Amino acid sequence: MTAEWARKVGTTRVAARKAATGKAAAGKTAARAALLMGSLAAGLACADADSRSEREDAGRLRGFVLEEPFAAPDFTLPDTEGSDFEFRAETAGFLTFLFFGYANCPDICPVHLANLAAVLDDLPYEARRRVKVVFVTTDPARDQPEVVRRWLDRFDRTFVGLGGDLDVINEIQATYRLPPAGGHDPEGGDYLVGHAAQMLAVSPDGAVRVAYPAGTRQADLAHDLRLLLEATTVP
Amino acid sequence: MTWWCSAQGIPWDWGWRAYPGVWLFVAAIAAAYLTLGRGRTARPGTAARFWIGLALLWVALDWPLGALGAGYLASAHMVQFVLIALAAPPLMLTGVPDAGYAAIERRPRAARAIGLLTRPLVAILIFNVVIVATHWPAVVDALMGTQAGSFVLDLAWLFAGVVFWWPVVAPVPERRLPYVAKVGYVLLATVSMTLPYIFLTFAELPFYATYELAPPVGGLTTREDQRVAGLIMRVGGGAILWIAAGILFFRWYRSENEGMPAG
Repeated sequence: MTAEWARKVGTTRVAARKAATGKAAAGKTAARAALLMGSLAAGLACADADSRSEREDAGRLRGFVLEEPFAAPDFTLPDTEGSDFEFRAETAGFLTFLFFGYANCPDICPVHLANLAAVLDDLPYEARRRVKVVFVTTDPARDQPEVVRRWLDRFDRTFVGLGGDLDVINEIQATYRLPPAGGHDPEGGDYLVGHAAQMLAVSPDGAVRVAYPAGTRQADLAHDLRLLLEATTVP
Repeated sequence: MTWWCSAQGIPWDWGWRAYPGVWLFVAAIAAAYLTLGRGRTARPGTAARFWIGLALLWVALDWPLGALGAGYLASAHMVQFVLIALAAPPLMLTGVPDAGYAAIERRPRAARAIGLLTRPLVAILIFNVVIVATHWPAVVDALMGTQAGSFVLDLAWLFAGVVFWWPVVAPVPERRLPYVAKVGYVLLATVSMTLPYIFLTFAELPFYATYELAPPVGGLTTREDQRVAGLIMRVGGGAILWIAAGILFFRWYRSENEGMPAG
């Protein structure tokens, strides 16, 4: 399962799509124009195929559905206000998105959280209050509570930020079947942290059921949120 | 080294990057212009218009605008479109001396192909199809991920822009439209730009995976960036077309009053 997740992580639909080109006789202006228009038409055909596929997938989750859902392991970490956050107790009855990342991340983390925040913002109030987002830093040395709070507030002020000891956080990640974070520079400075790029969806009954790899689009999150919330009871 | 701007998925920084393919492309156009105009006298200001048009094209294709538009911001992508398809072609075409057009006309095959493509109905059709197709999400996402694809898209815009503006500005007597017809022709293009504008500005979700999943640049959200892109198309592109229509109308009015021949 981890290997398959890893295969999906980092892939985007940008890379997955290929342009189609036709054959054209070189040196002829009209043929060049035809080639140009042909490749554009092929793109339009792809769009139509995408649309058909979307209709067929209307009732299925678009995230990576785990073949064997597992109970979300409990853990306790300090939040950005300094209080202990007991994961299972705080998220019981809520649809919860759990994500391990870091505030200095230049690409995956801000895109993931911005996309999630955008689709959550579209939800009606009653649905929105049934969702929690928990972010756990994988770079506690730089991600001091005020840094995490300020960073999360850019996306959504209700997002919960957790910190703590890196070894403890890596142990928690292992219990969620995620690889440990690495690449930290003990000397400090400007370094990148390698970390799991998938966001986990924990259902209100406390089971990890779906993962959203890097490259998940807002349309897919919005689609799945609707389905996941339909199966959720109000806490 | 990359030769053309494309979406690479790497975090943006303001460090300069070289795109030699862009330089070669711009240099090739400049060389063609110099060859075409060799030994021929241009009217004052004619050459300047061409070089300003070429400079706009260069700005649109090269770093930073080219790189931002290719892989980071839909709004930058739309500025590119306005410059490549709407701003640069009329300037470059009006910058070609009359003798340059005459030289093209003397080449039967080139004249035949250009004659076909620049018939007003054909030209407006090509322009409209290219505008709609090159803003279609699947097309943009498929093309922007590779340098060759990004090159094709930029070339499609330039091609469509040249074809569209040719009947308006090219001084080929037998293909000139009357001024009134030119005004209508130019304003017709504002209609085709309305469709992408509406989708971009009022869509609830991001259209393009390229920009939605790109490492963030600046403070705009993906949706805000997309709305700005729609407004740039509407306001920036529309302004160019309305200014052109205004100039044509003024010339028509003057020609009517002075008894000048139309076109």
